[in-house]
Amino acid sequence: MAILQVQHLEKHFGKTQVLKDISFELEKGRALAIIGSSGSGKTTLLRCLNFLETPTHGKILVEGQTLFDAEAPATQKESKVRKKRLHFGMVFQSFNLFPQYTVLKNVTLAKELLAKERPDYKANKKQILEEIAQEGRSLLQKMGLEDREGHYPHQLSGGQQQRVAIARALALSPDILCFDEPTSALDPELTGEVLKVIRSLAEQNTTMIIVTHEMAFARDVADQAIFMDKGVIVERGSARQVIDSPREERTRQFLSRYSKS
Amino acid sequence: MKKSLSFILACLMALSAASCTSAPAASTADTASGADESSSAAAEGGDAESSTEGDTESAEGGETESDLAYVQDKGTLVVGITYFDPMDYKEEGSDEWVGFDADMAKAFAESLGVDVEFSEITWDYKVEELDSKAIDVVWNGMTLTDDVTSAMSTSEPYCLNAQVLVAPADKAAGYESLTSLEGLTVAVESGSAGEEAATALGATTVPVQSQAAALMEVDSQTSDVAVIDLLMAGAMIGEGTSYADLTQVANLNEMQNLPDEEYGVGFRKGSDLTDAFNEFWAEKVADGTVLEVATTYGLQDSVILD
Amino acid sequence: MPWTPFYQMAEFFASDQFRTVLNALNSGFLVTLELFCVTLLGALPLGLIISFGSMSRFRPFGWLASQFGLTPKGRVAKAICAFRPIRLVTRLLVWLVRGTPLVLQIIILFYVPGMLDLFTWGGGETARFTAVSVAFVLNYACYFSEIYRGGIQGVPVGQQEAGQVLGMTKSQIFFRVTLLQMVKRIVPPMSNEIITLVKDTSLARVIALQEVIWMGESFMKGNSGYSGLVWPLFFTAVYYLVFSGVVTILLGKLEKKLEFFR
Repeated sequence: MAILQVQHLEKHFGKTQVLKDISFELEKGRALAIIGSSGSGKTTLLRCLNFLETPTHGKILVEGQTLFDAEAPATQKESKVRKKRLHFGMVFQSFNLFPQYTVLKNVTLAKELLAKERPDYKANKKQILEEIAQEGRSLLQKMGLEDREGHYPHQLSGGQQQRVAIARALALSPDILCFDEPTSALDPELTGEVLKVIRSLAEQNTTMIIVTHEMAFARDVADQAIFMDKGVIVERGSARQVIDSPREERTRQFLSRYSKS
Repeated sequence: MKKSLSFILACLMALSAASCTSAPAASTADTASGADESSSAAAEGGDAESSTEGDTESAEGGETESDLAYVQDKGTLVVGITYFDPMDYKEEGSDEWVGFDADMAKAFAESLGVDVEFSEITWDYKVEELDSKAIDVVWNGMTLTDDVTSAMSTSEPYCLNAQVLVAPADKAAGYESLTSLEGLTVAVESGSAGEEAATALGATTVPVQSQAAALMEVDSQTSDVAVIDLLMAGAMIGEGTSYADLTQVANLNEMQNLPDEEYGVGFRKGSDLTDAFNEFWAEKVADGTVLEVATTYGLQDSVILD
Repeated sequence: MPWTPFYQMAEFFASDQFRTVLNALNSGFLVTLELFCVTLLGALPLGLIISFGSMSRFRPFGWLASQFGLTPKGRVAKAICAFRPIRLVTRLLVWLVRGTPLVLQIIILFYVPGMLDLFTWGGGETARFTAVSVAFVLNYACYFSEIYRGGIQGVPVGQQEAGQVLGMTKSQIFFRVTLLQMVKRIVPPMSNEIITLVKDTSLARVIALQEVIWMGESFMKGNSGYSGLVWPLFFTAVYYLVFSGVVTILLGKLEKKLEFFR
């Protein structure tokens, strides 16, 4: 069964409809690329999955469980939403690292706060915190940042910052990791190091949704791809098929602009 | 736009109306506050007081409550003063208020059976201090001007005073034979009897916050002369002060052929403390206490004894 | 003798007059200091509460309507549902307080309750101090609240969102993520306000609170056997300069301390 099911999702901002009847599924261990021009609703879709926006209609299910149902207000309670968010991890275009914390603390903070809710926290506080720090260090090592744990975000390059952000999202072991244009805010020479990290995550069968403008990267790394335009899914299929041989005219137009530039 | 503007104007008017009517509101709200007080008195076990208050209230139809009862009920007479040698001042190294007014205020409080508390106030707000019950009496060498007698319930006069002109000593000669103050810039304490006198004599007045500030005006040459109280001038200018080169050049009351000014004590409007004070004072004049205390402070010539 | 002025100065500083005046000014300065501290202790947290109020999105009618599954249709109904009473009330308060002079607020707060027979502040210095403190706390809380609001709204939304997707609670996000960034943003404007507060305390003498300038002025009329002295008033400047100097240094240290992140 699919780990993620999105059914008939719609989102209105006032009178403008940003998402129209979006439905798709994602299998565990697979990577999904969402492509499309800016304003097509890709980012809004990711934000809906992370409960940063409340969809106007539709349902979101993870492992068969209904996380969100626009018709059932009970699924939208702030207290419940908080825990539901943990099914998803989010990597932002602008990193959004916490500037006042060191790299390691950025990675471990959320986990430490969650650990406080554990019944055995008081008794084993020291040990728990040590474990969390250890996990944080090994994540940083995976990102090639083991020598940067004591630095503050402003002391790092953009690419390094985004890798910290990925480690931070991974620290909570989400079921699905979402990337919102992870390289758009980076200088071209820094995108490579971030894409490399995402590629290696894909190789380890991390379930991912990647909103990106890097077409070649999407084709190589993602299993599936969705092309969105004006809030609707225009075309879906394997990443290779959608990007290399699109069936829809709108997809072809969009991609041709990329190959030209 | 018009609507919101008129709304704001209406709000401002309501605000100012509320402040203008505050004094009458205080008296119309008396029935309610009277009830409050009798209940608090009862709570303190002051049975006698609460019953007498009930009597006066029913007798006067609840129109005015007894100020005397209010002061006796709280047990303290708060006397509003400013530092005014020889009326209210402190001896060097002492924290106790002394002076002709201070000593008599202590005696008055004793006669009422209450403690006395001296509270320094800003002179401009003496009426507000009374009305807001921050103090119970203004007793500080206060000249009985029309403004004062209309805003407070004032006692019989008890002391004489005059307004004097103060000028730099080196220019004193030029001011001695004046008959009017026209063309002069005269520093006065805002709201004081001196301001009235100076205005009456055609001066261009500079109203400042205190008589001391008026002297500073002259010393710094921002004003030509200042008008202050005769009784105060003795302590504030001349040898041993910062104004050694200022001198008293004329008595304005003499210049205008006016009688001397009179000092009185001020209570809240309609207060029955005024009668209590007049009675107390007559008694103290009769038994010689007033003259005795006045002599202590060098006021034997100024105090009224008839 | 070139040294004569120095001897004269030393003599003056050793005189009884100087000592008496200094004692009086010290006691006045203590009142100034107390008022400063009470105002800060009260206004710093109260300002935060007011700033939350002025950002409140609580819409009781809109909330009620959504509970009954209603969507407002007409213009009036929409306006009613969009009505945010807490925001309105706090912004009105801030307007009233910032739109009128502090001196006026002190006078009104001290005199009007007694005039209307609502309550009295009592007698003596304590009463005056209490009334003035209330006026100062309220006044400065309103100024602080606007600085806070700017500071909070100046922290990028992305910071909050990052906290949200990491499963943090609202209060965790505020205290662990937003607060320090906000503090860093508001230190310079707050420093300005706090230095102003140092000097604004002198307004309290309008209702005869005996702070340091009152004490300085008192020697003009007479105090402790000295009268007609002007220099004590001018000398109070020394207190303010030292005080604001210390405050400036402390706030500068805080600013420096927060330089570890950007």
